Amino acid sequence: MSRALLLAALLLSSLAARAEDDTYAPATPAQSPLQINGYVDLGFAVAQGDGTSFPANDTRLPADYGVDTFAPAINTRGDVASTDSHGRFTNGFLPHSMNINGTPSFFLSTVDLDVKYAPQSVPLLIFTRLQALPRFNAGTTTTLLVEQAFVRVIPFKSQELALSAGKFDSVFGVEYQENEANLRTNVTPSLIARYTTGQSLGLKSFYRIQLPALWTALTANAAMTNGGTLVEALSPPDLSLSGRPVFSGRLGVEVNLPVAQLKVGGSFMAGPRNDQHGPTVRQRALGADGRVTVRGFSLGAELVWIDQDGGGADKSNGLGNEQLVSAFFARGEYLIASYGLSLGEGALRKLTPYARFERRHAQFEGFRPYTVQRITAGARLDLWDELALKAEYLWNRELQGAPPVDNNVFTSSLVFSF
Amino acid sequence: MKTHSALTAASLALALAFGPPAQGAKKKRADPAAEAQLRPLIEKHLTIAHELTAGLLAWDAGDYALAAAHFEALLALKDLPDDVAAAIKPLAADARKKGGGKPVADQTGTPEPATPAPDEPEIEATPKPKGPVLVTVSGSVTGGGAGGPGGAVVTLHRSNGSTPRPTPLSNKPLIQRDKKFLPHVLAVPVGSRVSFRNQDDIFHNVFSISPAHAFDTGLKRAGDSETLAFDKPGVVELLCNIHASMNAWLVVVDTPWYAVADGAGAFRIKKVPAGDYDVEVWHENASQPARSKLTIGEESAALSLSVGGDKRTNPFPPDKYGKPRQQQLGY
Repeated sequence: MSRALLLAALLLSSLAARAEDDTYAPATPAQSPLQINGYVDLGFAVAQGDGTSFPANDTRLPADYGVDTFAPAINTRGDVASTDSHGRFTNGFLPHSMNINGTPSFFLSTVDLDVKYAPQSVPLLIFTRLQALPRFNAGTTTTLLVEQAFVRVIPFKSQELALSAGKFDSVFGVEYQENEANLRTNVTPSLIARYTTGQSLGLKSFYRIQLPALWTALTANAAMTNGGTLVEALSPPDLSLSGRPVFSGRLGVEVNLPVAQLKVGGSFMAGPRNDQHGPTVRQRALGADGRVTVRGFSLGAELVWIDQDGGGADKSNGLGNEQLVSAFFARGEYLIASYGLSLGEGALRKLTPYARFERRHAQFEGFRPYTVQRITAGARLDLWDELALKAEYLWNRELQGAPPVDNNVFTSSLVFSF
Repeated sequence: MKTHSALTAASLALALAFGPPAQGAKKKRADPAAEAQLRPLIEKHLTIAHELTAGLLAWDAGDYALAAAHFEALLALKDLPDDVAAAIKPLAADARKKGGGKPVADQTGTPEPATPAPDEPEIEATPKPKGPVLVTVSGSVTGGGAGGPGGAVVTLHRSNGSTPRPTPLSNKPLIQRDKKFLPHVLAVPVGSRVSFRNQDDIFHNVFSISPAHAFDTGLKRAGDSETLAFDKPGVVELLCNIHASMNAWLVVVDTPWYAVADGAGAFRIKKVPAGDYDVEVWHENASQPARSKLTIGEESAALSLSVGGDKRTNPFPPDKYGKPRQQQLGY
C-alpha cells in the first residue's frame, strides 16, 4: 500500500491548500479536561410547632421508633428543623438537624464543589464532589464531606460498559440522579430517599444495550459497596463494619421516542446491615420506579420495600453510636408531577410548578406500625443559567400509629450555580 | 498560489492514480484558462482518488465499515468510469460483508464521503457581483475564554446594501467518532444539508433543542447517517442523547461572507466586494456575539477582533427532552 500512502499524502497536501475556513476541529478539545463546578444552596424555612415530629405528650421509648423523624425536611439534604426529643431516649433513627426549631430562619444548606478531570488520551474520568455544610446554630457542627470520589474507566470502544471504583452515588432507584439542590426540581427529598440515595465506597459497573427498532435501551447498574444505599445519617458512609459487602443494582428500560420518554426500572439491595458488626444480620430492599416525560410534562413514581434483621449490637451510624439493633420493616412510595414552562432567553428562563404525593409505612419489631403521608406543592423559577429559586409547602399527616402533630413546613431555596 | 499548488498536487495524485506517465505530465503545463476549464474534471478525479485512497487505507487499518462507506460513496458518484466501478464493486461488497452495517445507498440522504471533505465550493456571493474588485478579508480573533478563540465564526453583512443569499452546500459531513463530533464547529450557509454520520462502533443519537433548529435523528448504529437541511439562520448546539459529554456547534449563516477561526484565531474570508459591513463574531464561550463595523476598499482588509469568554459551560447538558444530565453518572 505504499502507493496508496503516497497518494494520501499528496491528496492531504492538496486538500489542505484548498481548505475553506468553515470548520473547526481542534486536535484537543476547546474545553479543558479539568472542569470545576458547584453551587451554593441558601435556604429559608418556617416549621410548625417545634420543628420536630415528636408529639408533646408522647411517652413511648425510643422516641424515634414511633414517629417519622425525617418527615418535616427543610432542605435538599433532608435535614429537618429540629430533632429535639426533650430528653426522651432516641436510638439513632434520626436525620441531621439544622436546629432552627420553629423559628423562621435563613440557613446555608450546602456549599458544593464538583471537580471533574477527563484526560483526552485515556478513557478515564476522575470525579470528586466535596461539600461543606456550614452550621451556625447551637448543637450543630460545620462539616466537610467528600460525597463522591471515584475513577471511571470505559474499557471498550465498542461496548457501552463503564466501571467505577471509589465513593459514588447509589445505583438504587432513580432519585439519586437529582439529589443535589441545583438538579432537583423541588426542594426536599422524598420520604423514601433515606433508603435509596446514600453514597458508599466500592465498585460499580454500568452497561447499556440499544434496541434501535424500538427506540429503546436496556441498562444494568450493579454495585458492591461497604454500606449499601442508605443515607449517611442511617449508616456509616465509608466503613465496612461487618466485613462483608452489600450488593445493589438496577435493571432499567428506557424508551426514547421523539416527543416522549418512558423509563422504568427495578432495583435491589442485599447484604449485611452495615450499622452493626454482625455479618449475619442482614438487610434486603426492593424498588420499582417509572418516569414519563412528554414535552415539558414529567410524571415520576417510585416504590421501595426494605427489611432489616435485628439482633446485632453496638449500632453505629452517621449520628454516632447507639444501643439497639432492632428489626425493621418499611415500605413507601411517591408520585411527583411537574411541568416546565420555558419563559425565553432573558432573565426568566423557566418556571416549573410541581406537586408530590407520598406515603411511608414503617414498623420496628415490638413497636406499633405507623404511617405518614405528605403532600408537597411548590414551584421552581430558573433565572439566567446560574440561579434557581424554589419554594414549597409540605403538609405532613400522621395517618396511623403516630399521634398527629403540627409539623407542616414552608421551605425555600436559592441555588447559585457556578 | 494556493490554487496552483492544489492543482499541482491533485494533478500529481491523478497522474499516480490513473496512469499518465509522470514524465509526460512534466512536459506540458496547462495555462490558467485551461486549468480553469479542467478544474471540474480534476475535482471529480480528486474525489475519486480521495475515496479510493481513504477506502484502501481504512481497509489496511482493518476498519472495513469505513472502507465500505468510502467505496460505496465512490460507486454513488455520477459518471464514474466503468473500469473504476468494475474494480471497486467487489471491494465494496467485500468490505461491507466484513464491516457489517447497511450500504450507503440504503441510508437516508445522498451518499457522502465518510470524512469531512474540506474542498467545498469557494464561498462567494450569489449572484456573483459583476465588476467590483473582490478582496480577501483576513485577520485574527482573540478572547474566547480559557478555550481560546478557535471556532469563532466571523460573518460579514452589508450595512450599505443588501447581503446576497449564500449558495447552500449539499451533504456537508459532521461525523461522530471516538464519542466526539467532528468538526467541533461547522459553519454552513442557510439552506445547506448536513450529513450526520456515525463512525463509532457504538450507537449515537444526535439531537438539538436549540430554538434555531430542534431535531432528533434517533438512534444511529455504526455507519448510519442522516442528512438534514438547515433552512433558518442561527446557532444550533448539537448533542448526543446517549453520551452527555458530546457537543458541537452548527452555525447556519445567511451571508456568503463567513469563516471559522482556526485554533490560533486566524481567519480568512475571500471574495468580499468593497463596501461597508457589519461584522459579527460568534463563539461558544461568549454569552453575546461581538459586533463591529468594517469598510472595505479595493485592498485586502485585515481585521483584529475580540470575542468574550464569559459564558458558563453547562455542567449538566440536557437530554433531548430538556432534562439535565450528570456526566459522571452511568456512561
